Amino acid sequence: MDAPAIATQGLTRRFGDLIAVQDVNLSVAPGQFFGFLGPNGAGKSTTIKMLTGLLAASSGSIQVLGLDLAKNPVEVKRQIGVVPEGMALFGRLTGAEYLNFVGRMYGLDRETAGKRTAELLDFMQLAEQPKTLVTDYSHGMQKKLALAAAVIHGPRILFLDEPFEGVDAIASGTLKAMLQRMIARGATIFLTSHVLEIVERLCSHLAIIHKGRLVAQGSLEELRAGVEAQAAAALADASAGESPSAPGEKLTLEEIFLRIVGGTRHADQELSWLG
Amino acid sequence: MAGLSFSPDMRGQFAAIARVRWQLFVNGLRTIRGRLEVVARGFMFLAFGIAGLGGSLGFGLLAWYLVSHQKAEWLAILLWTVFLFWQLFPIMASALTENVDSSNLLRFPLSFPSYFMIRLVYGALDPSTGLGCLWLFGLAIGVGIAQPGLFLWAALVLAAFAIFNILLARMIFAWVERWLAQRRTREILGAVFFIFIICFQFIGPLMSRVGRHSHPGVSRITTLVLPYERAFPPGLAAEAIARAIHGAFAAAMAAFALECVYALAILWLLNVRLWAQYHGENLSEAMARSTAPKEKRAIRLGWNVSGIPGPVAAILEKEFHYLSRSGPMLFTFVMPVVILLIFRLGPQTSAKQGNFLAHAPDLAFPVGSAYALLVLTNLVYNCFGADAVGMQLFFVSPVSFREILLGKNLAHALVLACEVIAIWIAVCFMFHPPAIDITLATVTGVGFALLLNLTVGNLLSIYTPKKIDYGAFGKQRASTTTVFASLGIQAAVFGLAAVTLLIARAFGSVWIATVIFLILAGAAAIGYIMVLNRADRIALDRRDAILAELCRA
Repeated sequence: MDAPAIATQGLTRRFGDLIAVQDVNLSVAPGQFFGFLGPNGAGKSTTIKMLTGLLAASSGSIQVLGLDLAKNPVEVKRQIGVVPEGMALFGRLTGAEYLNFVGRMYGLDRETAGKRTAELLDFMQLAEQPKTLVTDYSHGMQKKLALAAAVIHGPRILFLDEPFEGVDAIASGTLKAMLQRMIARGATIFLTSHVLEIVERLCSHLAIIHKGRLVAQGSLEELRAGVEAQAAAALADASAGESPSAPGEKLTLEEIFLRIVGGTRHADQELSWLG
Repeated sequence: MAGLSFSPDMRGQFAAIARVRWQLFVNGLRTIRGRLEVVARGFMFLAFGIAGLGGSLGFGLLAWYLVSHQKAEWLAILLWTVFLFWQLFPIMASALTENVDSSNLLRFPLSFPSYFMIRLVYGALDPSTGLGCLWLFGLAIGVGIAQPGLFLWAALVLAAFAIFNILLARMIFAWVERWLAQRRTREILGAVFFIFIICFQFIGPLMSRVGRHSHPGVSRITTLVLPYERAFPPGLAAEAIARAIHGAFAAAMAAFALECVYALAILWLLNVRLWAQYHGENLSEAMARSTAPKEKRAIRLGWNVSGIPGPVAAILEKEFHYLSRSGPMLFTFVMPVVILLIFRLGPQTSAKQGNFLAHAPDLAFPVGSAYALLVLTNLVYNCFGADAVGMQLFFVSPVSFREILLGKNLAHALVLACEVIAIWIAVCFMFHPPAIDITLATVTGVGFALLLNLTVGNLLSIYTPKKIDYGAFGKQRASTTTVFASLGIQAAVFGLAAVTLLIARAFGSVWIATVIFLILAGAAAIGYIMVLNRADRIALDRRDAILAELCRA
């Protein structure tokens, strides 16, 4: 059996007294489209930052493609592509200059970097404004450029932090097409997103982090089965107000997510002054 | 502008803003950097305090002298000085000026009078307003001591003059802010500003040069222009006080009334600008929608620099793209040659008149090169500042910080080399070709200073980075800690250079200076390599703080 593409053991990050991520044990198999979900402040971005070298772990270990990130950071970084939260763009370069620059930072020779830059700009429909600076791009264009930069060196693993945030349907379609193409070619994608519909459609496997702890991990079917089994047990005990899904009706990812992180609210208890 | 009374709502909003500013200050003290900034600002406050009180005393004495010696008309010179400082200093030192981000304020249910007052009050909390008010206070006291009966009148006139200055400074900033809101207008404004600054440098030398020959045309223009000076607020304020001293109260009142009209006109212009802001003007930077598909161009390949690894060449290329697109930085680079030209144009007959290069042209090349080095410190000491969120790429890419810093340092060294060559050529044309021993001593001295600056600059770039914008004027300032540290290094460099030159002079040979500079450069090179070799470890240890500063909105 292949080594996991990404594996963490006891991954923990503290910010002073706050434990943002606690004892996370992740395992992502090669070729998986992996969705990493959690409510705001759950520790998603902190985890992805640690996995990509943007943040040091307080304790625990990270293996990427069988290599220890702490011991072989350069070798690991050579094989991964990242679209971080801030997109890591250089505003005062043109799109072509930026992609060329990133390509060469990842060790591509001039000709290869130039060729891939042209292809990526074409694919992302960014080739029409060759002289426009990145700072003048729209948000969607910047997201597409950031994704193009993350894949220019042909990474084996792609980390994406909220790639669909603030992106319109057309740009989103382009991004999804590129990601599916990468999966088809055997790459592994690790993605965080709040847009659960997209995650449900794209991802084969999921993990859910809540209050810094990993609370669920597996394929969508495994998570669904787990939640339904819990609900059935609760119903049998007649001690919970939750109702299982109607017979024959599958739980959506949103429902699974809400049940796992306990996101239900009692409207009558809150904000009565709102009128 | 009706309804500028303080309603309970308005008072609550003012208190909320004051409180949030205080909280921001207190929260800033949580980090070591924040505490260092406060200490540095404390020194700055002390310097401004001394300038304010000293200036107040000086202006007071001058006012007392002029009034008691029947030369009250000359008060205009003092008031023009205060006026020019008040209006020009905030533009030149925009980093020290408090500006409220209107887009943040406008989402709250503020009435227009509240918005207007907040912009006026918080915007006026800058050093120029403090210093200007102190100086005018000194002036009023000086006039009052010389003519006690006119103290209240002088105080009233000068208070109106102060209000005019506060309104004008706010009005200029409000309009400049409008132009700064978009990148293109921002860059045009930056270019205009730097041309203005460069032209400003030539006034002194040209005046002294022209003044020596009492040019008839200049005298005619001066005679023509001077009476009109009285038509402007500084002249009007001086006129109002002078006429009152001479007993011409009607004329004094007329001058004062006209001064108030100016203040009201400025108030109206400020009102126009703030009204537009209040109603949510569109300052979007979105690109215009293209009407026809543009022709695709072939992608230009990256630079091929033989002997340099690809990533280092990529960084070098990126740095040059950034610098070449920064109007403010480009104008900074021409300043050393401009300074030499200013010295060249200045009076050349007597050393007492201040132009020492006319008497020691051999020093022109070292002085120009030293100035070029000072210009470079802006880049070297905060070399990641302009990368902003791009810094994330350096942490996720498989390139060591040693290579990244090498690429950046190489770019900055090349800029300095070009500067030094340009200065050498300029000196050849303006003075005479520098002697070979002076040239070599200067080049080795610059080499030593560069290596030392790069060593410390690399450390400070990692330890105290500050997000800057190469494209916007007034946004290239490093953190105050870095500014003070770089000043210390420059003092050390120039001190060592002075000692070296004194030793060379004592032995009667400039070549000794070259040898000493070479030894110093060798020592600096060892330090530079040591820092470079540790750069990765330091950057990784500091990555949280670096990314927090550079990636903030």
